[in-house]
Parts: sequence; C-alpha cells; structure tokens
Amino acid sequence: MTKRIALAQLTSCWGCDQSLVDLHLGLLTVLPEIEIVFWPALVDFKLKDLESMPNQSIHIGLVEGSCRTEEDVHLLNVMREKSRTLVAWGVCSCYGGIQGLANQWNLEELVDRKFMKADTVTDPRVPSENVPVFTETVQPNVDIVEFDAMLPGCPPTSNNLLDALTALISGKPFDLPEKSVCDQCSKVKQDKHIKEFHRTHEGHIDPSKCLLDQGYLCLGFATIGLCGAICPNVNTPCKGCFGPVVRVRDHGAKIISALGAISEMEPEKLKESFPDPIGSFYFTDYAASYLSRIRTETRRKKKR
Amino acid sequence: MPTGVSNGLTAAGQKSTSSQKPKTKVEGNFEPRILAFCCNWCSYAGADLAGTSRMQMPPNMRIIRVNCTGRIDPVFVLDALNQGADGVLISGCHPGDCHYTSGNLKMKSRFVLLQKMLEEAGIEPERVHLQWASAAEGDVFTQGVTFMVERIKALGPNPVRKD
Amino acid sequence: MTGEKTVKISPVTRLEGHGDITIKLGKDGKVKDAQFNITSTRFFEKFLEGRFAEEAPRFAPRICGICPEPHHLASVKAVEEAWGVSPPPAAVKVRRLLINAKQLSSHALHFFALAAPDFLVGPFAEPVKRNLVTIVKALPDVGKMALQMMQFGQELAAAIGGTAIHPVTAIPGGMLNPFSEQNRDKFLKQIADIKQWTTDTLTLAKKIFEDYWDVITKLGVVQTYYIGTHNKGAHEIYDGSIRVMDPDGSVVADIKPKDYRKCFAEYVPEHSYATHVYYKPVGYPDGVWRAGTLARINIVDKMATPLAQEAFEEMRNRLGHPIHATFAYHWARIVELVQAMEELEILLKDPQIVSKDVKLSVVQPKKGDGVGCVEAPRGTLIHHYWTDEQGIITKANMIVATNNNVGGIEKTLMEVAKQVFEQKTHQKLKLPKPMIG
Repeated sequence: MTKRIALAQLTSCWGCDQSLVDLHLGLLTVLPEIEIVFWPALVDFKLKDLESMPNQSIHIGLVEGSCRTEEDVHLLNVMREKSRTLVAWGVCSCYGGIQGLANQWNLEELVDRKFMKADTVTDPRVPSENVPVFTETVQPNVDIVEFDAMLPGCPPTSNNLLDALTALISGKPFDLPEKSVCDQCSKVKQDKHIKEFHRTHEGHIDPSKCLLDQGYLCLGFATIGLCGAICPNVNTPCKGCFGPVVRVRDHGAKIISALGAISEMEPEKLKESFPDPIGSFYFTDYAASYLSRIRTETRRKKKR
Repeated sequence: MPTGVSNGLTAAGQKSTSSQKPKTKVEGNFEPRILAFCCNWCSYAGADLAGTSRMQMPPNMRIIRVNCTGRIDPVFVLDALNQGADGVLISGCHPGDCHYTSGNLKMKSRFVLLQKMLEEAGIEPERVHLQWASAAEGDVFTQGVTFMVERIKALGPNPVRKD
Repeated sequence: MTGEKTVKISPVTRLEGHGDITIKLGKDGKVKDAQFNITSTRFFEKFLEGRFAEEAPRFAPRICGICPEPHHLASVKAVEEAWGVSPPPAAVKVRRLLINAKQLSSHALHFFALAAPDFLVGPFAEPVKRNLVTIVKALPDVGKMALQMMQFGQELAAAIGGTAIHPVTAIPGGMLNPFSEQNRDKFLKQIADIKQWTTDTLTLAKKIFEDYWDVITKLGVVQTYYIGTHNKGAHEIYDGSIRVMDPDGSVVADIKPKDYRKCFAEYVPEHSYATHVYYKPVGYPDGVWRAGTLARINIVDKMATPLAQEAFEEMRNRLGHPIHATFAYHWARIVELVQAMEELEILLKDPQIVSKDVKLSVVQPKKGDGVGCVEAPRGTLIHHYWTDEQGIITKANMIVATNNNVGGIEKTLMEVAKQVFEQKTHQKLKLPKPMIG
C-alpha cells in the first residue's frame, strides 16, 4: 500500500526540499512507495486542499521551516491535525533554524532595520495588507505542536532522508544516532590542550589533523553525527549546523562546558577569543536555547 | 545543611572588608531567590562554618552541594534562570586549592564565557556570580552571599519568575 | 454586471519562497489590483550584526537552498573588499567552477521541475499532474536526463564546497580546500555526457517554444528596465560590472558593484514583505526593473562561449532586442545553461584548477565596508557589509536576486490578469497537444 505523504514549508530556505530532489535517480526507488498529496514546493497543491483533508488522513507529514509568521503557525497546526506521523524535517523545524538568531533582538528592532532603516529603502513603511503578522520570536516547532519524529540537518543529507523515509514508510521507528561528527571524522585526534584559538581565515589548516587540536573552533564534538563530517572533510571547521548530540539540552551551553575543560589559557584570553559567543556557539539552534527561552518569556510578560 | 542563616537581615549591619560596596536600593517587597552551587571541600564547608559561628546571612540562598565547581555544567545555571531563579551564585575553592587540582579553573573559564553570553543575549550578567571561599573563610562566604542578595535586589526580580 | 470579487492563489507553488497572489476585480469585471504578496522574511540583515565577518559566508547560503553558492560567494567577496584582500588566481577559478556548477544544476532544476511541467503536461491539465514526478513517470528518458544533469552540478558543487546545500569552503583570502586531481578527473570524464544532454535539452526546449509560440509572444509581454552583470559586454556571472538597460534597449547605467547605491533603490509596498527594487534615477514605479536570465540576455552584447553564442544569436534573431516577453525567460535560461556547461569544461581542463595555492597565508581584518556582487540564477545578488577593526560585522545590507524581480512580477501579473479576466486572451491562444497526455 502506498503511503500518503505531505511536505509542508513554513518559513525556510527550501534546502530540505532541494536535498530530497538531490536523491536524483534515487527518487525513482522512493516515488513508487508514496503518494504525494501536498507539496507546494514542487506540486500544485493549495493550502485549502490540505485544510479540506480528513484529519489523520496523511500517513507521514513532513514539516520544513519554522514559524516566523502566524500563517506558519496555522500551517503547522493543520499539518498536525491531518498527519498520523508528523516529522520535524530539518533543523529549522527541530530547533528554530538560523532565523532563530533574530531572537537576540525585539521584533520592533528587526522590522525597523529591514523596512524603515535599510540603506537602499527610499520610502519606509511596515507592510500590513494581505500579509500575515510576524510571531514575536521564533520558537522551535517542537515547542508548538507534538512531533512523532525528528530529522535534524541543515539540510538533512539525501542519505539521511532516504534512511528516514524508508523507516517511516515501512512503519519502523526512526531513531537518531548516538554519534557526534567526531565519530565520522577521519582526522588524527590528540588529547585536547588548546593554548590559543585562531579564526578560520588565519594561517593554513593542516588537513590531516583534528581542527580543534590546531586551535580552530570545530564544533564536531558537540554536534550530532548525521552529516558524515562533510565540513572537516574539506578542511573547514564544523559550525554545528545539524544541532546537538542526542540528549544535550542546550547546544551552546554544552560547547562552553567543553571549552572550559579543553582550553589551557587564561580565562580572560578565552573570553577575548569569542567576542560573539552567541554567533560562535549557536548557529541553527539558538531558538531552542535557554537564553532564547528566557528572553522570549521576558518579552511576552512585558507585552502584557 | 548550613545552619545559622538568620532571617530578615540586610548587608547594612555587616562588616564590609572588601572594597566592593553593595547597592542599598531595595525593590519593594522583593525577596530574591538565589541558587547557590557550593563545592563540597571548600565553600560548602565554609558555609557550614559560617553557620556554626552564628554569622548572620540573608536567607535567600537555596544551596546545592557539588563535589567540585568543575562539575557545574553551564546548563545548570541557565536552567535555573529559566525556571525563575533571580540569581545564581557559584562558590568554589581558591585557584590552587581545588581538591581535584583544576576543576575550579575549568569553572572559571566556563563562567567568563557564560557571563558574556548572558550579556549578549540581553540578560543582566550580574545575575550570576563566581566567588572563591575556603573551608576556613566563613566570613568571606557570608559576605559574598550578602553582597549577592543586595546586587540582585537592585536588579529586581527575574522577569521569568513565576510567583 | 458581476459583483466585486477577489481571486486568491495561496500559495504560489513551484517556487522558492512564500508567496500568495491577490487579484481584485471590480463590479465591472475590470482588474482593480494585482498583488504579489510575499508573506514572510527572516531578517538576515539584522542577525548578521555582531558576527565574525569571515563567518558570514557560512550564514549567507541559508538565505536560499536552491542557490546557496551565489550567496556564499557574494558574501566572501563582500568581506574581501571590506578588508582589502585579493584571493590567489587559482582560488578565483575554483569559485568560478563552483558558481557555474550551481548555474547548471539550478537551471536544469528550474527548467525541468519548476517550469516544464506547465508546457509538457499542458496549462489546462489537472494541477496535481503538473510536476516533475509526472515527467519522470511519463517521459522517463527526459526525466532521467534532467536528474542526471542536476546530479552532475550538485556533485561538482559538493566536491568544491564540501556540500552543495550549503557550501562552506570560501573564506576571505581564498578557499579552505583545493580542488583535487581525483575530482577533476572524475568530473571531466562526465563532461561529454553533460554536453550531449545540454544539446538535447536545447533541442527539446526549442520545440517547446515553437509549440507555445503564441503564448510566448502574446501573454505577459511587459516593458520594464533590465539589470545584469557583464564583463566587457560579455555574459558573466562571477565578477563584472553592472549594466542597467531601459525598456527601449539603451544602456542607461554601467557601474562597478561598489557604486550600486547610485542605481538600486527599494520601494516598500503595503502588501509584500519583499520590497520592489527599481532604478533610482527614474523613480518608482516607472523604474521597476527585472533581473535574471532574460534580463542578462538583454543587457549583454554577446555570450562568453561559442555554443552559447550560437544559441544566443538564434534567440535574438527570433525575438529581437530588447525582449519583453516574460515566457522568454525560459529560453534565456537554456542559453545560459549552454554557457554554464562550456565554462565548466574550460575550467575543468585548466591545469590551474587543481593548484594547491588557493589561500593567502595572512589575512588581516580591518575597519571598512565592502560590496560583493555575483549573478545568482534569478538575478543580480548584492551583499554589502560594514566591519569594525576586529573584523566584526556592524551592519549589513543585502539585495537578494529574486528581490530584483518582485516589482516586475507584479507588473506582469497585472498585465496577465487583464488579459485573462478582461480580454479573455487565454481562450484565443493556439496551444499544442501536450507531450504528456
């Protein structure tokens, strides 16, 4: 029996859809198993088609992106209603995504910068006709509705998608691996004694050695091992874009914890190495952090 | 559990031996709820000493004893703030005295990054504080607690606090 | 006399981004308003503030999952200009390889998955049938060819950038990783196939354009300004000067990217979170321009490679200059596909492409500002960053490629709405029997 699948896009970059398309010929093995009933990214279904489906009539619902507007929230709720198994597809859905970094500022400040003060804008105003209102902050979708499975990634690789879809289509559970990026990285690793941190453009990275050992902030140690260590493989420090290792409650806080243990320098020097801790220790999961939650609640109370 | 923590006292009646003067502004009836992580070997013993010596301390601390401040994951501090703690105090051994050699140094490194990150996120960095107090320094512990309470009173309650 | 009516299309499908269409019809059946409502935005310009500038190329690709490579490169170029840094020539070649790999896969994706369904299955087929899946099932050879072309481009992009979605290796001062001989050999081996498939795509595309000639020449022909990049008059997507052309086909501006603010201005509509970009000296709405494939074909004097030049001349002979027919965007896209394929072959055959000297040893951040400009598949892309002495971003301004088209799309929408609702043009068009029944 083919499974009915819906793929919904909230505010996102389309990268997860592109990753699915990037199965390329592999699509030919997946497509016969599924009946796509909703996928505006590539197929001409409209929102009202989804809304008019009977509840729980979709076997597997995949939600990409996070809630930046009330329309996103509505679509998320509709997907929950109509789907038996709801999957948080990509880090935007699991942890808020890169747009979660906007939570560092109030909504007024964000809107102001874009519509009122942008350098090339000649007649500022805040649009309000036929456009949905923004949410005060970006919250991870998993905080808004209940999900049945999570597939983090920025985007999840085509192989991750194939594994997840294969499991879900055959009714098996899809569990995240208890691995970090380091487990998938082939570089030579030493005991950690970092005397100095370098910014990524400084010097030349030795491709055979662990990047962290060389003093580059590679976050592979705290990041879930789903991607195959694609960035270290091309001599580039991991930025943690797939989110934390399983059971880690707050990615950036865990990274600080590890840095405290492995850096051998004066604390003041460590502090100076990271003038932007939020940007260095969070990337796609700031919205899921305690900091973001505290600020979200603070703003919510102030509004009352 | 440290004894001798008396009620209803402010820093006004305490000897001030450090150069740091506490603010005296008091925010209405606001009584801060402060979580204090104390390492077993130095600060917890110091707190105990403060109690048995009948040193007067404001009652606002909830103390969690850890073996070493090196055990403290920054997540604990953030979780406490997220749950509504008005402040988090971490009290450990002086550098060089750590029972596990360098746990407190790891704490110091974590702390400076954590505090900077709080500030960047728009949360008052003064809500968290790190101090060193040895087993013999009941007075230092007491003073640290007293100053902390004053600082937090001046900041006001944690906006997230549910009452 | 009918009542007032609002036609709502929600959402627009087969595109990257979030959009609705709202068309208001008056009691007399006349089109009163046609709106392209872009219904979300993420405020990248704000949350880039305070970041290490060398990390910006890691943030920027997340603006778009179909064209992350242009964002990656425009971003690194902006930082390099702010810091006064020039990467080694081999690094520039590797970046050109990257952007052309993406051009190939994006144009193939767009043509086969986003556009062709309307033509191959027919515009009046059931909506649920108009998609890539139908093509793959009904025309398996075409579908397979499409997927393999996309695969080549994506895999080449991944070999250079670490991953195709989102690439990571461009850094101020060059590239963090050289292009390996092993990869060069692997992709060069496939070039003959890519060449054949590109030629086949061009043949298929031309047949489609002949079949739909009525649609191309009669529906949605709208006069606008055009903007694109060129290198001494030749078609160029990595690095060049920006040309603006008026609706009569005259070049009215030719500027270096760093002077973009002389030409670029943004109008904030009431009904869209994406602004309308327009030619500043002329004002809004007369100065609304279009970017992307057709715009580039309009503003250049020639293509940069021989087969593409042939395809270009054939298109211009058929449609003239400047070309205002919106559906001709698809033809322009295929002409560019040919150039992308030829550029890839030239670069893969260049011995310097595997050079190990792809990164400066010393890169010094400084206070300044820089503009990085490339052509993304959908238009001219600008990243402008200001940095402090530590090399931390203090401000960012971005004109993303599609943004250049929102005003033009809305203008076309109004025209087509009138044609459909008032003139009933769609009922009089000569349409072919669809290739897929």
